[in-house]
Amino acid sequence: MSATVQGESIPLWHAENVTLSDVLAALSEIRYKFARDETGDDEHLHPRTCVMTLISVSPSEPDEELARRTTLSIGTEHPAQAIVIREKAPIRGRHLDAWITSEVREPEVACGWQCEIITLHVHGHAAEHLAELVDPLLASGVPTYLWWLGTPPFGKKELLDALRVCDGLVVDSARFEEPYTSFRRMAGLLKVAHHRLGLADVQWARLRPWRETIAQFFTPMDRRGFLNGIAEVGVDYVGEGRGNRIAAALLTGWVGAALGWKIKRAAAGTGGVVVAHYEAGNRSVEVDFRPVIREHLAPGEISAVRIGGSSQGTTFRLSVQHDPARMRPVPEPAYRTLHATGGEDDAGLELAERRAEWHRDVLHENLDSLHHTATGDPPGESRPKRPRVFSTERRRPDSARVLLTMIEIGDGEPLRHVQQMDAEDEAALLLDLLSTGTHDEVYNRSLAAASELVEKF
Amino acid sequence: MKVEEAANPLAEGLHDYRVADPAVMVIFGATGDLSGRKLLPALYNLAKQRSLPAGFAVVGAAMDDLTEDAFRKHASEKIHAFSRTQPIDDRVLDTFLSSLTYVKVDFGKLEDFKALGQKLQELDSTNHIPGNRIFYCATPPPTYQSIALQLQAAGLNTGSGFHRIVVEKPFGFDLTSARELTQTLQKVFAEDSVFRIDHYLGKETVQNILAFRFANSIFEPMWNTNLIDSVQITVAEDIGIEGRGAYYDKAGAMRDIIQNHGLQLVALTAMEPPLAFDANAVRDEKVKVLRAIRPLIGEDIEQSTVRGQYTKGWVLGVQVQGYREEKNVAPDSQTETYAAMRLFIDNWRWAGVPFYIRAGKRLPKRVTEIRVQFKRPPHLTFGREAMKEVDPNAITLRIQPEEGISLKFGAKVPSAGLRIRSVTMDFQYMTSFLVEAPEAYERLLLDCMIGDPTLFTRADEVEAAWQLIDPIENAWRSGRPPLSMYAAGTWGPDTSAKLLQGDGREWHRP
Repeated sequence: MSATVQGESIPLWHAENVTLSDVLAALSEIRYKFARDETGDDEHLHPRTCVMTLISVSPSEPDEELARRTTLSIGTEHPAQAIVIREKAPIRGRHLDAWITSEVREPEVACGWQCEIITLHVHGHAAEHLAELVDPLLASGVPTYLWWLGTPPFGKKELLDALRVCDGLVVDSARFEEPYTSFRRMAGLLKVAHHRLGLADVQWARLRPWRETIAQFFTPMDRRGFLNGIAEVGVDYVGEGRGNRIAAALLTGWVGAALGWKIKRAAAGTGGVVVAHYEAGNRSVEVDFRPVIREHLAPGEISAVRIGGSSQGTTFRLSVQHDPARMRPVPEPAYRTLHATGGEDDAGLELAERRAEWHRDVLHENLDSLHHTATGDPPGESRPKRPRVFSTERRRPDSARVLLTMIEIGDGEPLRHVQQMDAEDEAALLLDLLSTGTHDEVYNRSLAAASELVEKF
Repeated sequence: MKVEEAANPLAEGLHDYRVADPAVMVIFGATGDLSGRKLLPALYNLAKQRSLPAGFAVVGAAMDDLTEDAFRKHASEKIHAFSRTQPIDDRVLDTFLSSLTYVKVDFGKLEDFKALGQKLQELDSTNHIPGNRIFYCATPPPTYQSIALQLQAAGLNTGSGFHRIVVEKPFGFDLTSARELTQTLQKVFAEDSVFRIDHYLGKETVQNILAFRFANSIFEPMWNTNLIDSVQITVAEDIGIEGRGAYYDKAGAMRDIIQNHGLQLVALTAMEPPLAFDANAVRDEKVKVLRAIRPLIGEDIEQSTVRGQYTKGWVLGVQVQGYREEKNVAPDSQTETYAAMRLFIDNWRWAGVPFYIRAGKRLPKRVTEIRVQFKRPPHLTFGREAMKEVDPNAITLRIQPEEGISLKFGAKVPSAGLRIRSVTMDFQYMTSFLVEAPEAYERLLLDCMIGDPTLFTRADEVEAAWQLIDPIENAWRSGRPPLSMYAAGTWGPDTSAKLLQGDGREWHRP
């Protein structure tokens, strides 16, 4: 589709202890050369195309590398200018080291474009004046996003100053140090930042498949009434403690804010479960946050969500599981044949287990007489064991990145639905957030509601 | 408002989130070309985007004697070959394939439709589907009516849930057959349940014509006869008839392209602002344009239309045969592979502005574009010499490929003297956003599942288009104007160039 004309990420220009004017002069030269190379002798220069400026602030070398990789990945499909900034220890008399990398893409069906990555190592106090540092570099007329890797200095003047030149701040609340405190501080940011500023959270993008799946359940008109009948919500999350409950709180905040629930209280229950009580009109809704151990998920990730209730006499239950562990049926051919699993995953096996449960109950109610009829033995003798369907649990690599939905409505047969989640990729998550801008009212409302909930923990 | 009637509050803010109610989509002709190249890959991509709801099922229905497994294998092969997104995600594919079933259906046998009905009921029960059905006719147009009537006879057009039918263009062969088709479809389905697909309307860049015109305040004031000199619409293909000789030799470029894609582009370019972007408001305005086009009758047809046929030549560096040497084409065929015409829209906005439309096969390249050419400045301030390299201003809406918009204007050449040259300002659709555009069929299939007919053609649009085309076709069949030949790989016959030269204009080279 497209070809890289120049070498991969080899800096076109690098200098140590330079001024920003030197960087600007080098940039102009690179841009002119690109435009000239791009056109033939008789043609006019094509205008530069640029979708955005993405400024990444990286507290560490691995973060800087992540920022560079991500911006490069975005740049291969979308012409953008990236500025990667890293604060370095002060060195006397030295302020700024700079690198310029330019990736040129030449798609078959469009003009070529450049993805510029300007890497700045800032020594000492210059890093506290981020706005002044990047302002001259910004592309005019396109949005500027500040992606702060790690934990931004919420509440500090340097962050607010930096935000003056930005249209949006992007963070990842899953990577915050002291997540409980930082999350609440982040929620307070919108009250003090300028009115144009949008706030985006990579963790919010990770929750998108969950939000879609939950929203999907209530989309058919005949299920819309269920929204007013939700009585209980359960969220399983990995790890323990309030710091790991952030994603769960954000998801709950989203549902609560969308449906107009008001938080009343939260209290610790047994087994590490925390129960939050919401008021939803004249009903109450109970939300259970349950810590679970899932080795394949990171601490703080959501493992499962269950929503249940009833509306106009019809009960409903939605259960969504992330990367369900798979189980192997015990080799009991006859029994398994009787209760086909419909898939070797949690949902398929749960269905079979329920059918087995039902079958077992019916059997046991009449067990003695059935046994007597079949064998002629006196009742109570040589009675068969209760059948067991599953015994071992194992994880298989092909169950990764799956959302498994179970739907039960009324007395109908449960329905299972498998959806794949996109592979987690920083660039894709960022694009998801940035493609529609960072002004997401739904996120803002959900963040506020989640912050209120977190405070109750 | 009751919660049952309101929008789903949980869907707010999920951009691109459009999900249909659980339904069964029955694809008639499921083993055919359209299904394999477009529908199954589009459905796979919708599944990949998590846009298919829990319980959604696809039933393949065709004459072939296939098992379900064989149909799934066929679907898998087609998806691997034609999906827009590559590489194929095997896990998504497996899940999608598990939602496919297959029923052998002979369109002439009622009992086959009854068996299909049985299958649909089973799926309703197992998949929590409240009777919602979409019947997609991916079959040759002559079968549409018999499929619709069999569905009615088997009682598959009624019951709980929605019942929609999708048909592909061409919608009829002329006005009479189009009306007959409409009447049959409307006997079985309500008009708002009939989805006529012209896949051009599903293209992002076609929809962007409306955004360009009605989401900006600077273009609309000049979008009229006061400033616009002429409009050129080009739908060029470099390919030939690709083995469709039997169909194409009866249809020709006029019926195949201009009657639908061509006139739809005219309508979108010329329509008045609709009150809202909703199905009826948009389609009402399009119909008004089609009805305002001055009909070509009598001598107008000879003076304002051109028909051509390609002979052997070179396209993209490859020697190709002439149309009459193609398979299933009559050796003395009079069918046009190139059509051009000049139209006028008799309304206040467009009075006196010619719309030139051309469509053809075996042209030098594949391109679809709308070029709006503006009038020259009324006075040459900089003198004739300084302006000799300046073309009139033009806005080009490129539909495919290189989707985008360019504006041509004059600028001073950097030098000591004062010399003006034309330059272009380009907007490239594919690189200006941080998202990837979906394939037209993905958009249209989802629209159909959701029940949004905005991008589908309404019966009155189809009829208005045939009313324009029928007299031209009739004149052409009687040899007026005569068929002009052009070498494959050129921009059509000389008579086409002369059509514009007579007006003091020339075709823009795309």
